[in-house]
Amino acid sequence: MRKSFLSPGTGENRRPLTFGLLVLVGGLTVCPVVLLLLGSLTEGLGAFGRLTLAKYRAAYADPGFAAILYNTFVFTVGSATVCTALAFFLAYLNTRTNLPGKVLFRILSVVPMMIPHILFCVSWVLLLNPSNGLLNLLLREALGLSASPFNIYTLPGMILVEALLDLPIAYLVLAPALSAFDATLEESSHVCGASRWHTFFRVTLPVLRPAVLAAFILVIVRSLASFAVPSVIGIPGRIYVLASHIYRLVATGFSPDYGQAAAVGTSALAASIVLVVLYRRLTASSERFVTVSGRGYRPAIIELKRAKIPLLAVVGLLCFVWIVLPVLVLGYVSLLPYSMIPGEKAFALMSLKNWRLVLADPISRLSLRNSLLLGIGGAVLGMVLSFFVSWVIVRVRSTAAGILESLSFLSFSFPGIVIGVGFLWFFVLTPLYGTLWALLIGYIATYLPYGIRPLTSALVQIHSHLEESSRVCGAGPLTTLRRIVFPLLVPGIVSGWILMATMFVRELSLSVVLSRPGTEVLAVQILRFSEDGLWGRLAALGIVMILISTALVVIAGLFGRRSLRAFGLEAS
Amino acid sequence: MKALASILSCLLLSSAAFAADPALVEKARAEKKAAFYANITAVEPILESFKAATGVVAEYTRLSTSKFVSTVLTEHQAGKLSADVLQAPLPILELLQEKGVLADYRPAALAAYPEWTRRDGRIFTFGIEAVALIYNRELVKASDVPRRYEDLADPKWKDKIVMADPSSHATTISWLVALKEKVFAEEASWRRFLQGLAANRPMFVASFGPTPAPVESGEKWIGISMPKYIVTKAPAPLDWARVEQPLFGTPRAMALAAAAPRPHAARLFAEYWLSREAMMILAERVGEYVLHPGIFPPIAGMEKARVEAIRELPDEEIRRWGAEFKKIFAAP
Repeated sequence: MRKSFLSPGTGENRRPLTFGLLVLVGGLTVCPVVLLLLGSLTEGLGAFGRLTLAKYRAAYADPGFAAILYNTFVFTVGSATVCTALAFFLAYLNTRTNLPGKVLFRILSVVPMMIPHILFCVSWVLLLNPSNGLLNLLLREALGLSASPFNIYTLPGMILVEALLDLPIAYLVLAPALSAFDATLEESSHVCGASRWHTFFRVTLPVLRPAVLAAFILVIVRSLASFAVPSVIGIPGRIYVLASHIYRLVATGFSPDYGQAAAVGTSALAASIVLVVLYRRLTASSERFVTVSGRGYRPAIIELKRAKIPLLAVVGLLCFVWIVLPVLVLGYVSLLPYSMIPGEKAFALMSLKNWRLVLADPISRLSLRNSLLLGIGGAVLGMVLSFFVSWVIVRVRSTAAGILESLSFLSFSFPGIVIGVGFLWFFVLTPLYGTLWALLIGYIATYLPYGIRPLTSALVQIHSHLEESSRVCGAGPLTTLRRIVFPLLVPGIVSGWILMATMFVRELSLSVVLSRPGTEVLAVQILRFSEDGLWGRLAALGIVMILISTALVVIAGLFGRRSLRAFGLEAS
Repeated sequence: MKALASILSCLLLSSAAFAADPALVEKARAEKKAAFYANITAVEPILESFKAATGVVAEYTRLSTSKFVSTVLTEHQAGKLSADVLQAPLPILELLQEKGVLADYRPAALAAYPEWTRRDGRIFTFGIEAVALIYNRELVKASDVPRRYEDLADPKWKDKIVMADPSSHATTISWLVALKEKVFAEEASWRRFLQGLAANRPMFVASFGPTPAPVESGEKWIGISMPKYIVTKAPAPLDWARVEQPLFGTPRAMALAAAAPRPHAARLFAEYWLSREAMMILAERVGEYVLHPGIFPPIAGMEKARVEAIRELPDEEIRRWGAEFKKIFAAP
């Protein structure tokens, strides 16, 4: 029997694959990070100069740095907690129960991912600013209050908005794991006399630990690198976190030292590596999380019975207030010539001018085309790479696999403001500089965890005996992949593809430094409108972006369902 | 009235038609395009009219101020700087000049500009990014509009001001320092003004870009911002306070790249940019305060304003003052 990466065994025959992936992923992610680290350790503004630790001394000697670290801790852990809990609640109801309108809620859960983050934050400012936020005004009038009940410019406000922005990430990591959950485990618990809650805490949650932790860690890392919330909500509230502190470093003066910014960014990098190591340790005995094995598995649907309507109301309200309302605000803003609160004057001034200007703008149209190309093509290539990386991470579990997992997080965990410059320093040394290829490679290298996380959390639940049985029955590696592995991974593949495609459609950090005339993308065009304060045009283009992403999500969802049906794996 | 204004505008534009050296135009046409690196709003009409006037395409790469130096220097050091013409705040171009990025070229069109705008043959200044107090005219009564910068420290403005973060925004830092040097007779009174302004708890935003939105929506009543937004955000209810002191701002400058891949197109573009025709478009459509004599943005009262360029602070001084303002403006 010819040996391949799908053959039984733990490491020997998979070494070439592991090594090859280490070189590929390392090449993609290490180069910009190494250049940034060099920049942080050398004199001058570039990556090559005399070695010095001065930038680290300057970065960490700041007396206010402890307060910034504290704010960052509360902000990231708070966002990850709220986000993971909310995503679990929605994913559980959408995948495991007979809640009505699941398709709609499934799409709504990923909507915040498609909205340009700056715009989403601005929507929340328009709703909850303490001076004339729409919700505050309504509540003041309705309850006869003298002051606004909510202030978005606070740490809880930042946590709320960041949690909502990252909700799709957590949702798309958790949903495939919940889809693959074997209900017989819970039934056994019930048979043994355990209550519903006892079963949930002692059986369901522990089995889903890898997915829950993956979602939690991914959101922490994402919120560490996030800039929209710290900038639009944090700075007005004078709450500085790592990302806005780095912004202050690069914005103070006309010749920003990205080396010093990278020195601060290494804190985020170190935190991310610690989290990945912690994750691997907490999910070390992967056998404990297997729910799909040769014994047969049944992802059953739970009847909600009397709880159906109240839960429908709760989910509906959550989706309306947290997702639909900000999108409605965007629609409203896109029709106005300037920002104003709703009223007679606002309605009288409404027009489609912003839409006409955006749709007639040749650069906006070119950006749209490029972003679509990068979104669809990039996500396909990204998922192919993610599949092999996930496979090695889950199945090999050697030291090399651990290194591969950490490498995949390298560019992802560096704050966005800085990593773009790392890629600039890298690509300018290559012939790809100024081309769409540079954007494509940069996107895949940076957002690899979006493909890897859903796949690993789904893969960890599938027993390797299934593939081994297939091999024993004489199937070749490709047949095993096509007939056994791929069908079981469909929900994970769909989730990863959606995460990558929607991310690539609205990616900004890299695009803003790598995009050149001819390679403009949507997010850069949106940033231009934002810098010029043209909120109406920004909202119009943002809605176009939401519509495109929604179409991608719907297509991916349909593909997933069709594939599951074809393989006879649709939930009963 | 509108028709009359547009006829006048057409007449003025036609009288300001661009005329360039035919030999230069021919060589520039052979190079096909001029690559222009800048961070300036809505200049597309100028690029289009450049193409119409010369047949040469102007390709615009917009780089934000915080990424300008690092991008240009990285490309320059790698021998891949594709810019022919660079436009940025003066301190940025001075830094690039030190690194040998800029060409030695003085456009003929510069003769129409004040003497001080011509530096040393490499950098030329064509405008000033004026800073002004802009307010919501539907919320602020005429009698309450500040007449002096000192009025911003009046407690009546508590929780009603928006400004760029004075601990990091370079232009705001330079502007506050300019007030010390050009408006206040002594440092103590300037510091009292800063403390009064800080006591009014202004809302900070990252840069000037987000300052007009809270003012136009009524979230805040007044902002330390730029008057050009009155043009670009029309019909928003914005106006500017005609303070009795001058307006201050960072000079907007331009230069040619020393290793410009298309040197003739670069020269032609610079000549065109400085022409009366292009400056009129910049003032009228973008609200920019330009230095070509007799051209003003269509902002009531701006033709009477005294607009002065602020001293270019070196980065170390900007950082030092930023740290000082961070303490002064710390949340009360």
